[in-house]
Amino acid sequence: MRRRDFLARSGAALAALSPTFSRLRLPSAAPWLLVPMDDAQADHLKAYGLAFRLLERGGRAEWFLNYRNGAFLLPADAATSRDAALNGITTEPLDDGQVVQIRGELQGGNMDAVPLEKAPKVAVYAPPNAAPWDDAVTMALNYAGINFEKVWDAEVLGAKLKTYDWLHLHHEDFTGQYSKFFLNYAGSPWLVDMVERNRAMARQLGYPSVPAEKRAVAVAIAEYVQQGGFLFAMCTATETLDLALAADQVDIAAAYADGTPMDPDASARMRWEEALAFQGATLELNPTTPVYSDIDGHQVNSPERRQPLGSFTLFNFSAKIDPVATMLVQNHRQVIPDFYGLTTSFTRKTLKPSVTVLADEPGAPWVKYVHGEHGQGTWTFFGGHDPEDPQHQIGDVATDLSLHPHSPGYRLILNNVLFPAAKKKELKT
Amino acid sequence: MTRRWPGLLTAAWLLVPGALRAQDATMSHAFELERRGNYPAAAEAYRTVLAAKPGEAAALLGLERVLTPMGRSADILPQVRNALAGSTTSAPVFGVALRAYAAAELPDSLRAVAERWAAAAPGEETPYREWGAAALGRHDRPGAAAAYRQGRERLGRPDALAAELAQLAFADGDFPGALREWLPAIRRLPGYRVSAVSSLGQAPDSVRPDLLGQLAHERDFTARRLEADLRARWGDPRGALAELQAALPDMPPVALEALRGLLDQVRTLPGRDSRVVQGRLLELIAERSPDAERARLRLDAARVYTSAGERDDARRMLTGIADDRNAPGTIAAGAATTLIQVLIAEGRLDEAAGRLAEHRAEMAGDESAALQRRLVLGYIQAGDLARAESALGADSTVDGLALGGRIRLYRGDLAGAVERFKAAGPFAGDRDEATERTGLLALLQPIEADSLPALGAALLALARGDTGTAVSGLERVAADLPSPKGGAEVRLLAGRLAAASGKPEAAERLLKAAAVPEAPGTAPAAELALAELLVDRHRPQEAVAQLEHLILTYPASALVPQARRRLDQARGAVPQT
Repeated sequence: MRRRDFLARSGAALAALSPTFSRLRLPSAAPWLLVPMDDAQADHLKAYGLAFRLLERGGRAEWFLNYRNGAFLLPADAATSRDAALNGITTEPLDDGQVVQIRGELQGGNMDAVPLEKAPKVAVYAPPNAAPWDDAVTMALNYAGINFEKVWDAEVLGAKLKTYDWLHLHHEDFTGQYSKFFLNYAGSPWLVDMVERNRAMARQLGYPSVPAEKRAVAVAIAEYVQQGGFLFAMCTATETLDLALAADQVDIAAAYADGTPMDPDASARMRWEEALAFQGATLELNPTTPVYSDIDGHQVNSPERRQPLGSFTLFNFSAKIDPVATMLVQNHRQVIPDFYGLTTSFTRKTLKPSVTVLADEPGAPWVKYVHGEHGQGTWTFFGGHDPEDPQHQIGDVATDLSLHPHSPGYRLILNNVLFPAAKKKELKT
Repeated sequence: MTRRWPGLLTAAWLLVPGALRAQDATMSHAFELERRGNYPAAAEAYRTVLAAKPGEAAALLGLERVLTPMGRSADILPQVRNALAGSTTSAPVFGVALRAYAAAELPDSLRAVAERWAAAAPGEETPYREWGAAALGRHDRPGAAAAYRQGRERLGRPDALAAELAQLAFADGDFPGALREWLPAIRRLPGYRVSAVSSLGQAPDSVRPDLLGQLAHERDFTARRLEADLRARWGDPRGALAELQAALPDMPPVALEALRGLLDQVRTLPGRDSRVVQGRLLELIAERSPDAERARLRLDAARVYTSAGERDDARRMLTGIADDRNAPGTIAAGAATTLIQVLIAEGRLDEAAGRLAEHRAEMAGDESAALQRRLVLGYIQAGDLARAESALGADSTVDGLALGGRIRLYRGDLAGAVERFKAAGPFAGDRDEATERTGLLALLQPIEADSLPALGAALLALARGDTGTAVSGLERVAADLPSPKGGAEVRLLAGRLAAASGKPEAAERLLKAAAVPEAPGTAPAAELALAELLVDRHRPQEAVAQLEHLILTYPASALVPQARRRLDQARGAVPQT
């Protein structure tokens, strides 16, 4: 569902909660299931999958923003009850009277009910050989049982991207410099494979170099958002996407990537108006330092500049006035331990004024989680690599999410997956 | 004379120039400021010293130390230039200068300092080593390699700076190049062997044959030993032993050091091959060791051989100890214990009983009792329950009660077995034994009969390692028992045994028969075992259906969390662990 539909159908959405909606349900003693998302929930992550699969079956749900940390109201049909029991998801049966009582509570506080009516079609940008366990979003989607498809450069530069509602990017390097590992990990089989695969794709698509081809991909992704798509990016994808977009006619790639050294005056020549979130950043000129710019506050791969991990705090928003931001921060924890990534955080000084900050580290010069609009669509950037592996290293064992069913960091990812399913009139603060 | 010393010292102190005394005080003050972490003030104090004495290495090093954590390494350049302006030959001053020019990215100055240092210290590797290190500090590997190669050329020694070049080649993923450099480095300084094995050991599988081929062209012991260490590192302990043994020199200290080094490596490897090789290495070390140590090493070898199932070799070692008149008493007693264990494991029970009787007086009470119980187990495994009961005697310890329960069980006396298992409680034997006993109790409790010789016979067959007979026997017993009265539980055990012994069709049939609603205490475990079997048989969809049935039908079962995890794995929702 595109954002324009999201806005256009707002009136009909509220009507869907009328008795017509009720008639779709199977008759039972307790016609509703409340999926609590506070500490009563046995598996927060799978709860998102429960709601998503209900939507896939054509059902409808409601997301109670700020009520019991973002609870879901689902019809107590047989399939949903079975799904919840199989996956160990805590549900509480409610009758109509109890639902009315909850709606009363929602009216009286900083809470609201958002209808969820259509499962978004999800795409994950990843190379064909990407390890399924090295991307937090892929792991979250697999664990929650949310269907998705993989796309890569050929699909993005073709016409396929527009068939998806939601696109996720993770640790891709859109500057085409192989995460700047080229010199430090020379000879490593995984790097050799990454380089060969990217060069072959650039040749196949008719680009002179990998940086040129990756910039074209970045532009296509920005266009996708412009046309109403929902974009969620983590780790390096956040920073490099914007660097690639702003590097219009500027060589920001090292010689090993495109045969010519980086423009020493690149920082001054960047066209930040083409970027989504950032502006005025200073680029890292050393090709052997796996750091791109001063957008990242933590600089994990620069021993002299690396900052220690703290914790970040989610902001509160008005559920009735600013439901989009409220949806994105639904959580049972307000303060969450930070985690490193190639890009861990975003310095405040490089954020565009239009960016909405969703979470930051109080007192630190960086923020963690940001959101904004671009044309008819929206983007959300979340720094860091894996919320449950704070010091993630190349070659680390995969995170097993069944050991972290309450992960507040992974909840933020899944808020983004479900957010495009929401349908409500948007009011700006 | 003695009385005149204080006076002379005072005079000498007064003769020291005042500026120098002030400088010493400033140095002390600078050190103190640095120790307190007040780096800016310490830097100023060091600068004051250097202003008076530019070539003062301690002050220059101090200034470098305090500027680094402030991220202002390049600020030292004026002091470095002043220090170099004199005719210094101080290695620390040159070292600081190299690092300062590297940090300031001044390659020409860096080179000039290195050249000057090399000229001041002809024949030394240090200037080139520090030059390379400074280049590496700014991630300039080609620059470092050039520095090392220039040093080698100037020094005229083909092995000069070999370890540094080896590490560079390793960092570039050039394993053959690293090996070419490590060999001369180790020949010159054997201590480098550990680093060489550590880095070359990381070579990918595809490169290893080339490295071994490269080593095969080298004839000396250094190369042979490196090859042995690498083979061990790459999981080929037998190849490692063969390589080292063929090249062992006659000099005992060298041979012993090499054998002990390989033993340390092989000990980290799992598997039977590793244990056999450990035994052989211990033997070789024993042959080259003094009398007092030889018996202990042979005993160690015997134990390792025993754990590897190499009973002949173990017995050979133990006999050697017995023949060794110089073996200490404690070693001899240890050898007797191990020998009895070997004899029991070989099924030579009467001989073991005889030796136990012979040596019992030399052994600690606990040790002889433990051996006696192993002997009882040996008789049980031989199927001789009468001798087992006789050997057990009136042992009323919890371990003895647990063994007595087993003998009763195998005779078909279910009531007697349950009584003794309960009396033994959870503390007899190790954790595995206690868990197994609990499983047997769970099997026996729903059965109403006090005596069931057919079940005892089937379980005895299992204890003797005859799983096929055990499975068919259990199936026959289950046919005569109602499902809720032990039939389902016996089928579940039979199904698990069939699955473990590679009979999946029989296992599936038995587990399905056990997973019946009339036996709700057994059905969840049977369904879980069936689902795991289906996963193993690459039928994930059926496994998912089975697990879903388990979770939805028996939601209160303690196995539901485990079933959910299996369900996640079968669906591919979590990584396989």
